[in-house]
Amino acid sequence: MEIDEVISFLGRHAPFDALSADIIGSLARKIEIRYFPREMMIIDAGKENHALSIVRSGAVELRLGGTELNHRLGEGSVFGYPSLLHHERTRNQVIAHEDSLIYQLPKIDFLGLLDSHEALKSFFAKDEAERLRLAVDGLRRSEDGHGEATMISVKLETLLRRQNVITANPGDNISNAAKLMARADVSTLPLTDQGKLVGILTDKDLRRRVLGQDMSLTEPVSRVMTPTPITMTLDDDLLSAMLVMSQHNIHHLPILNAADEIVGVVSSNDLLNRFGMNALRVVAEVKVAEDAAAVARAARRVDEVLAHLTESGVDADHVARFISNIGEATHRQLLKLAEEQLGPPPISYALVVFGSLARQEQAGGSDQDNGFILDDSYDEQAHGDYFEKLATFLCDGLNSAGYIYCPGDIMATNDKWRQPLKVWKERYRAWIDKPDPDNILNTTIFFDMRCVAGEERLVDGLREQIFEWSSASTIFLSFIARAAAYTKIPLGFFRNFLLQHDEKEGDVLHLKHQAIAPVVDIARVYALALGLNEVNSEERLKKAAERGNLSEDAVSDIVDCFEFIRTVRIRHQSGQIRRGEAPTNNLSPELLSRFEREHLKDAFRVIRDHMDIISRKYAGNIH
Amino acid sequence: MKLGWQHWFKEKRFALRWERAKEAAQSTPMADYYSALLLTDQLLEDIPLIALDFESDGLEENARLLEAGWVTVDDGAVKLSRARRLRIRAEGKLQGSAVVIHRITDDAAAQGQSEQDVLLALLAELKGTAIIAHAAIIEQSFLNAACLRSFGVPFVGRFICTMQLEERWFPKERTADGLRLGKLRAQYGLPSYRAHDGLTDAIACAELFLAQCARRQRESLQIEDVLMRG
Repeated sequence: MEIDEVISFLGRHAPFDALSADIIGSLARKIEIRYFPREMMIIDAGKENHALSIVRSGAVELRLGGTELNHRLGEGSVFGYPSLLHHERTRNQVIAHEDSLIYQLPKIDFLGLLDSHEALKSFFAKDEAERLRLAVDGLRRSEDGHGEATMISVKLETLLRRQNVITANPGDNISNAAKLMARADVSTLPLTDQGKLVGILTDKDLRRRVLGQDMSLTEPVSRVMTPTPITMTLDDDLLSAMLVMSQHNIHHLPILNAADEIVGVVSSNDLLNRFGMNALRVVAEVKVAEDAAAVARAARRVDEVLAHLTESGVDADHVARFISNIGEATHRQLLKLAEEQLGPPPISYALVVFGSLARQEQAGGSDQDNGFILDDSYDEQAHGDYFEKLATFLCDGLNSAGYIYCPGDIMATNDKWRQPLKVWKERYRAWIDKPDPDNILNTTIFFDMRCVAGEERLVDGLREQIFEWSSASTIFLSFIARAAAYTKIPLGFFRNFLLQHDEKEGDVLHLKHQAIAPVVDIARVYALALGLNEVNSEERLKKAAERGNLSEDAVSDIVDCFEFIRTVRIRHQSGQIRRGEAPTNNLSPELLSRFEREHLKDAFRVIRDHMDIISRKYAGNIH
Repeated sequence: MKLGWQHWFKEKRFALRWERAKEAAQSTPMADYYSALLLTDQLLEDIPLIALDFESDGLEENARLLEAGWVTVDDGAVKLSRARRLRIRAEGKLQGSAVVIHRITDDAAAQGQSEQDVLLALLAELKGTAIIAHAAIIEQSFLNAACLRSFGVPFVGRFICTMQLEERWFPKERTADGLRLGKLRAQYGLPSYRAHDGLTDAIACAELFLAQCARRQRESLQIEDVLMRG
């Protein structure tokens, strides 16, 4: 006996379409059909779930982590499986958005099916990563925690400063129009005829079509203007404006109101000022600072930049790069000032930074991790004093600038980290050849290195050498992979939290150690194993994929997790900064929104899977 | 819900018919069916119900039954694990028009089971429960005729008619075909199924019943609230 309608429906929809007719047939006989009128709850959050649900007709709404993000599913979509896969209570609430007929496959049959069909298994696993991706997008789009709008929802209206727009008539002569622009100090002059915008005249038009062509200044503006310019309205958002500008390679957009009247001109600089310039300006200020105090004053604005960028909806990776750029500029400028004070260095050297700054993944509240790699001609008697002073100037300056002294004393002021190249090489050689299990966690940071000032070849040469050694040493790799796998992914903690076992109260999530470090570790293991030159975690993972050691999907999954976790971190830090607190990596679980908590769990799961993979690949599965 | 006097009277009449049929069924294969009477003051979700549909070569009482399809509705869900479709072996040649509608050919019909066997399998399921059908009066008369044919015993049972429920619960002006299964299903956002397959129609009817009960928005419906009247 065949249940025809059910079979043909399942056969048309993923992932069941991958199954044989026989399997679909027996599957159909396991199904229970339920009907939910519009607005009826199908699944409540925090409950036991007993079945995989399939939308047969109608539509349902997933309220992810309560109410913060809605996701619609229509005919043929499946839901309710994460709780089955992980033997947990449900996390999302599902409500019938329309009158819906739902097929439900009991848990035991669903799990049995997964066990025997790899295609289904990967479909449901992949979907988890997919949901995370949606969550990242959702976070970026949602209003931030302070009620300020993100970049996508900021209307152009907010950028218009000039109340009265200065316009001219297309019949006016060029000379008068140019004088008007000069007086009003504008680079763009809208030209209107009976209130309607007919063209714009820009500085560029004056250069190219007037001066460059020896055009008579008594000619009417209409001969040289840009006719029927692209316009936007007050209601359009900033991101659309940026996209239009970059698409058409234009730098000015006349803005019209609802009545089609011109109310202002937005320039590409206005947009940059709002979003990127803030960060760029800090870098510029650091670069022209004339003493360490001025460097510190400028660099301390890094917190403000972080909060501003985050609130503007800039993604975590770009925020980290902006923050790292400021950090790098600060290091460079301090060293430049030090050299000016102490005189030029007697031998060549490089300032090397380790850890997050090396990876360009810095967030708020970073400490220093640096050292000097000196040319092998280094003679302590002759040069020691100079470099010690140089280091002191640098590290004190950094400390004043907010990059506090390294608690582990990994700083150029420590003579251990102020050594000629050959000593550095010996040190790495020893780490790689005779890895010390007790100490290996403390040395991994040295494998993320980048030159920020001085002779780059010293760092590049060293790094190439190290990665050549490391990729050849399976013992070292197994230690590194094992060390990475030691990191405790705080999954249990969250589960407890979800079930509201309050005995954990007072605990915090250490975002850096528990959430970010694991991804950094995974990327580093691949870099060391494959001898990759990349330092940035995302670039390392992408390179590993290029080399065929990691699937493209896996990379995008990990990168999404990384982005999500870092988004949670910068939002947390941005909140601290706005409250006048110093940014930290400690997050009390109560401060996590339900949405964040749920998706952190997804992220941790993906990360844990990948830790298992590197553990299998490189650590002989010992952990 | 308190029964009005009409319902009281009807229930009395049902009890009388049931007792007579039960007596007639003694020492027949139908005796087991009559050993369990469904009490109508129970909650709907507590009692497994059977949605049933016959395919036949006509609508008269003596039409030949070609197929029975049924499925259990339990705890607010249509349980496909308890879905059956049984072909009934037809003696002689089928009418051409019926073949076109049901796609049951002479050959296929010849391969079915005997009407008695199918009835016995069905009666075992129907014991102690109620039957959901769209235009249930037809299934009622088919069952009665078939039981008399096979066992010489009338069929008395509890019926729920989705067509009647719709008129009773949601009365309104309708077109001539407004109460047809497909039309009503569409109103509830239910997908359109291929008609005239015994099992598919039974499932379709079961789904419609769930939709009607959901729309009725009554806290706890009892069996007597949904039983066919008249």
